Amino acid sequence: MATAVAPPLSRKGASPKAATADAFTVKAYTGNAKVSSPPKAGALEPRPYKPTDFRKFYDRGDFPIALEHDTKGNKIAWKVEIEKLDYHHYLPLFFDGLCETAHPYEFFARQGVHDMLEHGGKKILPVIPQLIIPIKNALNTRNVKVICTTLKILQHLVISSELVGEALVPYYRQILPILNIYKMKNLNSGDGIDYSQQKRENIGDLIQETLEAFERHGGEDAFINIKYMIPTYESCILN
Amino acid sequence: MAAVEAKPKSVRRAKYWDENVEEAYRFQLAGYRDEIEYSKFHPQEVIDRWPHNNYIKKLKRRNDGLFYYYNKERECLDKEIHKIKLYTH
Repeated sequence: MATAVAPPLSRKGASPKAATADAFTVKAYTGNAKVSSPPKAGALEPRPYKPTDFRKFYDRGDFPIALEHDTKGNKIAWKVEIEKLDYHHYLPLFFDGLCETAHPYEFFARQGVHDMLEHGGKKILPVIPQLIIPIKNALNTRNVKVICTTLKILQHLVISSELVGEALVPYYRQILPILNIYKMKNLNSGDGIDYSQQKRENIGDLIQETLEAFERHGGEDAFINIKYMIPTYESCILN
Repeated sequence: MAAVEAKPKSVRRAKYWDENVEEAYRFQLAGYRDEIEYSKFHPQEVIDRWPHNNYIKKLKRRNDGLFYYYNKERECLDKEIHKIKLYTH
Protein backbone atom coordinates (compact mmCIF):
# COMPACT_ATOMS: atom_id res chain seq x y z
CA MET A 1 0.00 0.00 0.00
CA ALA A 2 2.81 2.34 0.93
CA THR A 3 4.58 1.73 -2.36
CA ALA A 4 1.44 2.80 -4.24
CA VAL A 5 1.49 6.39 -2.81
CA ALA A 6 5.23 6.92 -2.77
CA PRO A 7 6.61 9.17 -5.52
CA PRO A 8 8.73 7.49 -8.19
CA LEU A 9 12.43 7.13 -7.48
CA SER A 10 14.47 9.58 -9.48
CA ARG A 11 17.66 7.60 -9.33
CA LYS A 12 18.50 4.07 -8.39
CA GLY A 13 18.94 3.90 -4.63
CA ALA A 14 17.75 7.49 -3.95
CA SER A 15 15.08 7.91 -1.30
CA PRO A 16 11.68 9.35 -2.23
CA LYS A 17 11.59 13.15 -2.02
CA ALA A 18 9.71 14.19 1.10
CA ALA A 19 7.38 17.17 0.90
CA THR A 20 8.37 20.03 3.26
CA ALA A 21 5.75 21.45 5.54
CA ASP A 22 5.65 24.23 8.12
CA ALA A 23 5.60 23.04 11.71
CA PHE A 24 2.23 22.48 13.44
CA THR A 25 0.28 22.38 10.16
CA VAL A 26 -1.93 19.40 9.13
CA LYS A 27 0.59 18.57 6.45
CA ALA A 28 3.36 18.33 9.01
CA TYR A 29 1.61 15.38 10.71
CA THR A 30 1.46 13.24 7.54
CA GLY A 31 3.86 10.35 7.39
CA ASN A 32 6.63 11.41 5.03
CA ALA A 33 6.44 15.20 5.39
CA LYS A 34 9.67 16.90 6.26
CA VAL A 35 9.00 19.59 8.85
CA SER A 36 10.94 22.74 8.01
CA SER A 37 12.67 24.80 10.65
CA PRO A 38 10.80 27.84 11.92
CA PRO A 39 11.42 31.15 10.15
CA LYS A 40 13.95 33.60 11.52
CA ALA A 41 12.55 35.98 14.11
CA GLY A 42 14.71 38.76 12.63
CA ALA A 43 15.26 40.54 15.95
CA LEU A 44 18.57 41.93 14.71
CA GLU A 45 17.53 42.58 11.10
CA PRO A 46 17.46 46.24 9.98
CA ARG A 47 13.93 47.53 9.63
CA PRO A 48 12.73 50.04 7.06
CA TYR A 49 12.00 53.55 8.28
CA LYS A 50 9.62 56.14 6.90
CA PRO A 51 11.02 59.34 5.38
CA THR A 52 11.80 61.62 8.29
CA ASP A 53 10.59 65.14 9.00
CA PHE A 54 14.24 66.12 9.08
CA ARG A 55 14.59 65.19 5.41
CA LYS A 56 11.48 67.18 4.50
CA PHE A 57 12.68 70.26 6.37
CA TYR A 58 16.18 69.94 4.96
CA ASP A 59 14.94 69.65 1.36
CA ARG A 60 12.73 72.66 1.89
CA GLY A 61 15.67 74.66 3.27
CA ASP A 62 13.96 75.32 6.58
CA PHE A 63 17.02 74.78 8.75
CA PRO A 64 19.21 77.76 9.63
CA ILE A 65 22.29 76.05 8.20
CA ALA A 66 24.22 76.53 4.99
CA LEU A 67 23.39 73.69 2.64
CA GLU A 68 26.86 73.10 1.30
CA HIS A 69 27.99 69.63 0.39
CA ASP A 70 31.71 70.36 0.33
CA THR A 71 31.96 71.16 4.00
CA LYS A 72 35.48 71.73 5.13
CA GLY A 73 36.36 69.23 7.80
CA ASN A 74 33.16 68.27 9.52
CA LYS A 75 31.52 71.54 10.32
CA ILE A 76 28.15 73.09 9.76
CA ALA A 77 27.92 76.79 9.00
CA TRP A 78 25.01 78.20 10.99
CA LYS A 79 23.06 81.16 9.62
CA VAL A 80 21.79 82.05 13.09
CA GLU A 81 23.64 81.92 16.39
CA ILE A 82 22.86 78.61 18.10
CA GLU A 83 22.16 80.42 21.38
CA LYS A 84 19.24 82.18 19.71
CA LEU A 85 17.63 79.04 18.28
CA ASP A 86 14.34 77.67 19.56
CA TYR A 87 15.51 74.37 21.06
CA HIS A 88 11.95 73.05 21.46
CA HIS A 89 11.56 73.22 17.70
CA TYR A 90 14.96 72.41 16.25
CA LEU A 91 16.53 69.88 18.64
CA PRO A 92 13.77 67.23 18.21
CA LEU A 93 13.94 67.78 14.44
CA PHE A 94 17.68 67.16 14.31
CA PHE A 95 17.24 64.08 16.52
CA ASP A 96 14.59 62.89 14.07
CA GLY A 97 17.27 62.88 11.38
CA LEU A 98 19.36 60.32 13.25
CA CYS A 99 17.40 57.58 11.42
CA GLU A 100 18.84 58.73 8.12
CA THR A 101 21.61 56.77 6.47
CA ALA A 102 21.90 58.76 3.21
CA HIS A 103 24.25 61.67 2.65
CA PRO A 104 23.86 64.60 3.26
CA TYR A 105 20.95 64.08 5.68
CA GLU A 106 22.92 61.76 7.94
CA PHE A 107 25.86 64.17 8.24
CA PHE A 108 23.79 67.29 8.89
CA ALA A 109 21.60 65.56 11.46
CA ARG A 110 24.57 64.13 13.36
CA GLN A 111 26.61 67.31 13.28
CA GLY A 112 23.59 69.51 14.00
CA VAL A 113 22.76 67.51 17.12
CA HIS A 114 26.41 67.62 18.16
CA ASP A 115 26.62 71.43 17.84
CA MET A 116 23.30 72.01 19.59
CA LEU A 117 24.27 69.76 22.51
CA GLU A 118 27.73 71.27 22.79
CA HIS A 119 26.39 74.83 22.94
CA GLY A 120 22.93 74.32 24.39
CA GLY A 121 23.67 74.43 28.10
CA LYS A 122 20.52 74.91 30.15
CA LYS A 123 18.24 74.94 27.11
CA ILE A 124 18.61 71.17 26.64
CA LEU A 125 16.97 69.91 29.83
CA PRO A 126 13.39 71.11 29.13
CA VAL A 127 13.46 69.48 25.68
CA ILE A 128 14.34 65.96 26.91
CA PRO A 129 10.75 64.59 26.80
CA GLN A 130 10.51 65.57 23.12
CA LEU A 131 13.72 63.73 22.27
CA ILE A 132 12.63 60.31 23.47
CA ILE A 133 10.50 59.32 20.46
CA PRO A 134 13.16 60.28 17.89
CA ILE A 135 15.79 58.39 19.92
CA LYS A 136 13.53 55.36 20.15
CA ASN A 137 12.80 55.48 16.41
CA ALA A 138 16.50 55.67 15.59
CA LEU A 139 17.33 52.69 17.80
CA ASN A 140 14.37 50.76 16.41
CA THR A 141 15.72 50.94 12.86
CA ARG A 142 18.12 48.21 14.10
CA ASN A 143 20.66 49.47 11.63
CA VAL A 144 24.03 49.01 13.32
CA LYS A 145 25.47 52.25 11.95
CA VAL A 146 22.44 54.27 13.06
CA ILE A 147 22.52 52.66 16.51
CA CYS A 148 26.23 53.47 16.90
CA THR A 149 25.64 57.12 16.00
CA THR A 150 22.67 57.30 18.38
CA LEU A 151 24.70 55.77 21.21
CA LYS A 152 27.45 58.36 20.78
CA ILE A 153 24.80 61.08 20.78
CA LEU A 154 23.28 59.63 23.98
CA GLN A 155 26.72 59.70 25.62
CA HIS A 156 27.05 63.34 24.60
CA LEU A 157 23.52 64.11 25.75
CA VAL A 158 24.06 62.94 29.35
CA ILE A 159 27.13 65.15 29.79
CA SER A 160 25.74 68.11 27.84
CA SER A 161 24.21 69.76 30.88
CA GLU A 162 23.51 69.16 34.54
CA LEU A 163 20.51 66.98 35.43
CA VAL A 164 20.05 65.70 31.88
CA GLY A 165 21.27 62.25 32.95
CA GLU A 166 18.72 62.17 35.75
CA ALA A 167 15.96 63.44 33.48
CA LEU A 168 16.53 60.44 31.22
CA VAL A 169 15.94 57.84 33.96
CA PRO A 170 12.12 57.75 33.59
CA TYR A 171 12.56 57.03 29.89
CA TYR A 172 14.86 54.00 30.22
CA ARG A 173 11.87 51.79 29.42
CA GLN A 174 11.76 53.33 25.93
CA ILE A 175 15.47 53.50 25.26
CA LEU A 176 17.05 50.44 26.81
CA PRO A 177 15.21 47.41 25.28
CA ILE A 178 17.14 47.74 22.00
CA LEU A 179 20.40 48.11 23.90
CA ASN A 180 19.57 44.86 25.68
CA ILE A 181 19.25 43.05 22.34
CA TYR A 182 22.62 44.21 21.04
CA LYS A 183 24.56 44.28 24.31
CA MET A 184 26.33 41.00 23.71
CA LYS A 185 26.99 41.65 20.01
CA ASN A 186 30.72 41.82 20.18
CA LEU A 187 33.45 40.58 17.91
CA ASN A 188 35.49 37.67 19.15
CA SER A 189 38.56 37.94 16.99
CA GLY A 190 40.89 35.95 19.25
CA ASP A 191 44.19 37.81 19.29
CA GLY A 192 43.48 39.57 15.96
CA ILE A 193 43.00 43.29 15.65
CA ASP A 194 39.44 44.56 15.73
CA TYR A 195 39.54 47.77 13.70
CA SER A 196 35.98 48.71 14.67
CA GLN A 197 37.28 49.42 18.19
CA GLN A 198 39.51 52.19 16.88
CA LYS A 199 36.68 53.66 14.84
CA ARG A 200 34.27 53.27 17.77
CA GLU A 201 31.87 51.14 15.76
CA ASN A 202 31.88 48.07 17.97
CA ILE A 203 28.29 48.05 19.11
CA GLY A 204 28.77 45.87 22.22
CA ASP A 205 31.50 48.15 23.57
CA LEU A 206 29.52 51.28 22.72
CA ILE A 207 26.47 49.99 24.60
CA GLN A 208 28.61 49.20 27.64
CA GLU A 209 30.11 52.72 27.54
CA THR A 210 26.67 54.29 27.15
CA LEU A 211 25.17 52.37 30.05
CA GLU A 212 28.12 53.35 32.25
CA ALA A 213 27.61 57.00 31.26
CA PHE A 214 23.90 56.65 32.13
CA GLU A 215 24.77 55.19 35.52
CA ARG A 216 27.40 57.82 36.33
CA HIS A 217 25.18 60.76 35.44
CA GLY A 218 21.76 59.34 36.24
CA GLY A 219 21.80 59.79 40.01
CA GLU A 220 21.08 57.18 42.64
CA ASP A 221 18.11 55.55 40.87
CA ALA A 222 19.95 54.99 37.63
CA PHE A 223 21.56 51.64 38.35
CA ILE A 224 18.45 49.85 39.58
CA ASN A 225 16.48 51.11 36.60
CA ILE A 226 19.15 50.00 34.14
CA LYS A 227 19.39 46.61 35.85
CA TYR A 228 15.62 46.22 35.55
CA MET A 229 15.76 46.65 31.77
CA ILE A 230 19.15 44.99 31.20
CA PRO A 231 19.67 42.20 33.75
CA THR A 232 23.19 41.40 32.55
CA TYR A 233 24.45 44.90 33.30
CA GLU A 234 26.79 45.17 36.28
CA SER A 235 27.41 48.45 38.03
CA CYS A 236 30.56 50.39 37.21
CA ILE A 237 30.30 52.38 40.44
CA LEU A 238 29.33 49.80 43.05
CA ASN A 239 31.84 47.16 41.90
CA MET B 1 49.05 102.11 9.63
CA ALA B 2 46.68 99.39 10.78
CA ALA B 3 47.10 97.60 7.43
CA VAL B 4 50.89 97.57 7.86
CA GLU B 5 50.56 96.12 11.34
CA ALA B 6 48.19 93.45 10.09
CA LYS B 7 50.72 92.18 7.58
CA PRO B 8 52.79 89.37 9.10
CA LYS B 9 56.58 89.37 9.05
CA SER B 10 57.06 85.68 8.56
CA VAL B 11 55.22 82.41 8.35
CA ARG B 12 56.05 78.81 9.21
CA ARG B 13 54.24 75.51 9.14
CA ALA B 14 53.22 73.84 12.38
CA LYS B 15 55.13 70.66 13.19
CA TYR B 16 53.36 69.50 16.32
CA TRP B 17 50.16 70.30 18.14
CA ASP B 18 49.95 72.90 20.88
CA GLU B 19 47.46 75.55 21.93
CA ASN B 20 48.74 78.10 19.42
CA VAL B 21 48.27 75.61 16.61
CA GLU B 22 44.76 74.89 17.84
CA GLU B 23 44.04 78.64 17.85
CA ALA B 24 45.43 79.09 14.33
CA TYR B 25 43.49 76.04 13.11
CA ARG B 26 40.22 77.52 14.30
CA PHE B 27 40.89 80.89 12.66
CA GLN B 28 42.09 79.35 9.41
CA LEU B 29 39.06 77.08 9.16
CA ALA B 30 36.91 80.21 9.23
CA GLY B 31 39.07 81.81 6.52
CA TYR B 32 41.31 84.15 8.51
CA ARG B 33 45.08 84.16 9.05
CA ASP B 34 44.92 84.80 12.77
CA GLU B 35 43.28 86.89 15.46
CA ILE B 36 44.72 90.14 14.10
CA GLU B 37 43.08 89.62 10.73
CA TYR B 38 39.82 88.61 12.40
CA SER B 39 39.72 91.78 14.45
CA LYS B 40 40.39 93.78 11.27
CA PHE B 41 37.27 92.30 9.66
CA HIS B 42 35.13 92.47 12.79
CA PRO B 43 36.50 95.34 14.87
CA GLN B 44 33.54 95.55 17.24
CA GLU B 45 33.39 91.88 18.14
CA VAL B 46 34.82 90.12 21.15
CA ILE B 47 35.79 86.55 20.29
CA ASP B 48 33.66 84.03 22.12
CA ARG B 49 35.83 81.53 24.03
CA TRP B 50 35.29 78.46 26.21
CA PRO B 51 35.77 79.48 29.82
CA HIS B 52 37.67 76.39 31.01
CA ASN B 53 40.53 76.40 28.47
CA ASN B 54 40.11 79.64 26.54
CA TYR B 55 39.76 77.85 23.19
CA ILE B 56 37.73 79.69 20.56
CA LYS B 57 34.05 78.87 20.70
CA LYS B 58 32.48 80.77 17.83
CA LEU B 59 33.69 82.66 14.78
CA LYS B 60 32.07 84.36 11.82
CA ARG B 61 33.16 82.99 8.47
CA ARG B 62 35.13 85.38 6.32
CA ASN B 63 33.19 84.93 3.06
CA ASP B 64 29.57 85.01 4.14
CA GLY B 65 29.44 85.86 7.84
CA LEU B 66 27.90 82.51 8.80
CA PHE B 67 28.82 81.07 12.17
CA TYR B 68 31.24 78.26 12.87
CA TYR B 69 30.98 76.64 16.29
CA TYR B 70 33.97 74.84 17.82
CA ASN B 71 34.19 72.06 20.36
CA LYS B 72 35.24 72.33 23.99
CA GLU B 73 38.27 70.14 23.44
CA ARG B 74 40.98 69.82 20.81
CA GLU B 75 39.69 69.77 17.24
CA CYS B 76 42.84 69.93 15.16
CA LEU B 77 43.71 66.34 14.29
CA ASP B 78 47.28 65.16 13.78
CA LYS B 79 46.68 64.82 10.05
CA GLU B 80 45.71 68.50 9.84
CA ILE B 81 48.71 69.92 11.71
CA HIS B 82 50.99 70.32 8.68
CA LYS B 83 48.34 72.46 6.94
CA ILE B 84 48.37 75.08 9.68
CA LYS B 85 50.37 78.26 9.09
CA LEU B 86 51.71 80.17 12.06
CA TYR B 87 52.23 83.86 11.35
CA THR B 88 54.61 86.14 13.24
CA HIS B 89 54.00 89.85 13.38
